[in-house]
Amino acid sequence: MQQEGRVTRAGALNAGKLMRTYGTVLAGILIVIAFGLLSPESFATWENVINISRQISLLVIIALGATLVTAVGEFDLSVGAMASLGGVIAAQMAVSGMPIWLCMTAPLLIAFVIGYLNGWIVTRFRVLSFITTMAMGTVLGGLTFWLTGGSTVFEHIPDAFRRLGQSDWLGIPLLSVIMIVLTVLFWFVMSHTPFGRRLYAIGGNETASRMAGVNVSWNKNMAFALCAVLAALTGVLMASRLGSAHPTSGGGLFLPAYAAVFLGMTAFKEGVPNIWGTFVGAAIIGILANGLTILEVPTFAQDIITGCIVVAAVILQRLGRGER
Amino acid sequence: MPLLEVKNLDKKFGPFYALKHVSLTIEPGEVHALVGENGAGKSTLIKIVTGVYKPDGGAIEWQGRPVIISSPKHARELGINVIHQERQLVPSLTGLENVYLGLPYLQFPFGLGVRWKAMRERAEKLKRELGMDVPLDRPAQDLSPPERTLLEILRAMMMDCRLLFLDEPTAALTDKETEMLFRLIGRLKSQGTSIIYVSHRLDEVLRLSDRITVLRNGTLAGTLPREQADRETLVRLMTNQEARAPERKGDRERHGAPVVLRARGVATADGKVKNAGLEVRKGEIVGLFGLAGAGRTELLEAIYGVRQKTAGDVWLEGQPATHLTPKQAIRRGMVLVPEDRRSHALVMGMTIRENMTLPVLSRFSNGVTIRGKRERAAVSDWMAAMKVKATGTEQTVGELSGGNQQKVVFAKALMSGPVVLLCDEPTQAVDVMTREDIHRLLRTQAEKGCGVVFVSSDLQEVLEIADRIVVMHEGETIAELPNEGLTTEKVLKICYDHRKGGKTGHAAGR
Repeated sequence: MQQEGRVTRAGALNAGKLMRTYGTVLAGILIVIAFGLLSPESFATWENVINISRQISLLVIIALGATLVTAVGEFDLSVGAMASLGGVIAAQMAVSGMPIWLCMTAPLLIAFVIGYLNGWIVTRFRVLSFITTMAMGTVLGGLTFWLTGGSTVFEHIPDAFRRLGQSDWLGIPLLSVIMIVLTVLFWFVMSHTPFGRRLYAIGGNETASRMAGVNVSWNKNMAFALCAVLAALTGVLMASRLGSAHPTSGGGLFLPAYAAVFLGMTAFKEGVPNIWGTFVGAAIIGILANGLTILEVPTFAQDIITGCIVVAAVILQRLGRGER
Repeated sequence: MPLLEVKNLDKKFGPFYALKHVSLTIEPGEVHALVGENGAGKSTLIKIVTGVYKPDGGAIEWQGRPVIISSPKHARELGINVIHQERQLVPSLTGLENVYLGLPYLQFPFGLGVRWKAMRERAEKLKRELGMDVPLDRPAQDLSPPERTLLEILRAMMMDCRLLFLDEPTAALTDKETEMLFRLIGRLKSQGTSIIYVSHRLDEVLRLSDRITVLRNGTLAGTLPREQADRETLVRLMTNQEARAPERKGDRERHGAPVVLRARGVATADGKVKNAGLEVRKGEIVGLFGLAGAGRTELLEAIYGVRQKTAGDVWLEGQPATHLTPKQAIRRGMVLVPEDRRSHALVMGMTIRENMTLPVLSRFSNGVTIRGKRERAAVSDWMAAMKVKATGTEQTVGELSGGNQQKVVFAKALMSGPVVLLCDEPTQAVDVMTREDIHRLLRTQAEKGCGVVFVSSDLQEVLEIADRIVVMHEGETIAELPNEGLTTEKVLKICYDHRKGGKTGHAAGR
């Protein structure tokens, strides 16, 4: 009798667990089917798939970085400002005639130092990362305006600078290829290397990690540094794609990036930031934007829908856990 | 008619009795001391009478009428208050705001604002009546420790307080501050408030109380009027004379073995450890004992490098090891099994595998990736060796029982192949079987040549397992005894005889 009861409960638990782990993915698929039925001639085409992959590429890359910082239980509010600064530095270097490879990599090195500094302030002085990175974002915004005088950098940008953001490889945009490569790379880092394991351990229980001999400060600093590098790369790629760099261009990516991370926390690993979850989250946000635009839904309504979906996904997962 | 009468109170946690048939009466205006070893049931008794726990048996009568105290709020309404060991104040609020915390504010009609002036006058009046000297306009965080204690007592007295529990009130006080507190207790008593005074400091108890109740292992060992009580009697009552510690065998003599861990003159920044040291030989189990607040956990943490040291030296296998991080400690063969499993030892959301290998991840890595197969195999082996009951290596540790979690903690510690194993209350809140398993494991480790430091609040347990016992008192190591013919009584006597600065003059009476 007792045994039987336990089996039934375990069965129910498994179904619930399946919903909690894959519910978000399922919702994403449903959204795709809905758009496909509503607008078969423009949404469900190969061209549009390629299009969506390009549209979400920048969001995915910046959100990957935010995933690392969220995994160690911290926040980086400076990713948007970091992206803007990265794009502006790259564009200005290109305008001044420096080699393109240097224009693309120098901002990443600078970002590494800035990100590490974020982490150092947080770990060394125990300042809340929320405050540290908000202040850092303000500083970076100021630097960007100082460098540009507040105007868009677009004159005299060499064609070679645009190549990365605008060309294709075997019919697939290079941006999409970079997105896929980075997603796979960071998935590997987070789930198959000691570094990734330690980041998750710190996020799970910082004190226990320290007791177990994990160098908490160093690992956190590295998470912040990598996050900043990915943000700067996003800015560089955006400048390359647009052929210009605007001092606030990255700001618009900040909220969607965290929306993707939080949506991603409801997928695959319950309540834990994870790389494929973030990818799915960014994809859902991108597909919604794309499909709703095709259906000629105004932008403000799109924002309202996206925001509601994030909250709904988190609430549904909480409810699923509560049933246990 | 007694103020409070407690009859045959029982309280069980799982299969264990925390209190068994405990009876107690408190007269109005009486100072009644409650003493006993760690875990004797003092806290449980306080929590039942103040409505935190529900008793499993027995009855409580309040002013002659049977009552069921349903919540702390209910207890306060009856007139029962506790001053806990840890201060229960909001640091950023002023004294006055803290005094009125949880009390209704005096308001102008129709809720048009708070009558701060009237509230202040009421508090000041009571303050004068009690002869207290504590500022009400400064935030609690700026007050000295005794001022905070006074503030809490003032808060308790704002409502009609008939019975006041004081739980180790002098632990953070200097002798002068203690005198001030005692004068206040005298005044409360003369107003008719009864006091239950819980303390490890027997000379204070003997000086203050009208009667003294001794608890032992959750049972009532006796209630004595002060005239019949002295230090010897109390210690004898606290220790169970019937239970003899099993003799440690002579074959565990380790005098010749090399010293694997030596600490000397250790002090910590927060003052919890003042001057402590110990020596552990290869193959030896050293029991570290002290009453609550003696600084045992803090000493281990200081040695392990997670608590900041201001003085002292540490050697590991003869090499200096004073400024280690946990990472370096583990690499050099010293590992700590922390007291608090949930918050210090395990990542609850991770799997058994991920938790176990966390300290030794680099061993399962080829420089870039984790070798999953080797990792899983090693974890499976350890789970089998430790008899961890789980669905497999991939089960989340948060889903395991307390005993099985503790086994994971031990496996994790032993995986690093330690030469020094520091264990802080490793058998706390685990079942009897696991407790036996852990004892056996510690002996095996010692026989393999590991040096073990074993901390437990259960003195009987320490005597069962240790080769040598180091006694701590208020941050200092005060004695080191080979475990030959030792009894709980002897060890406790050392703890209670050792007063700060060796002062014993207080005992002379009032």
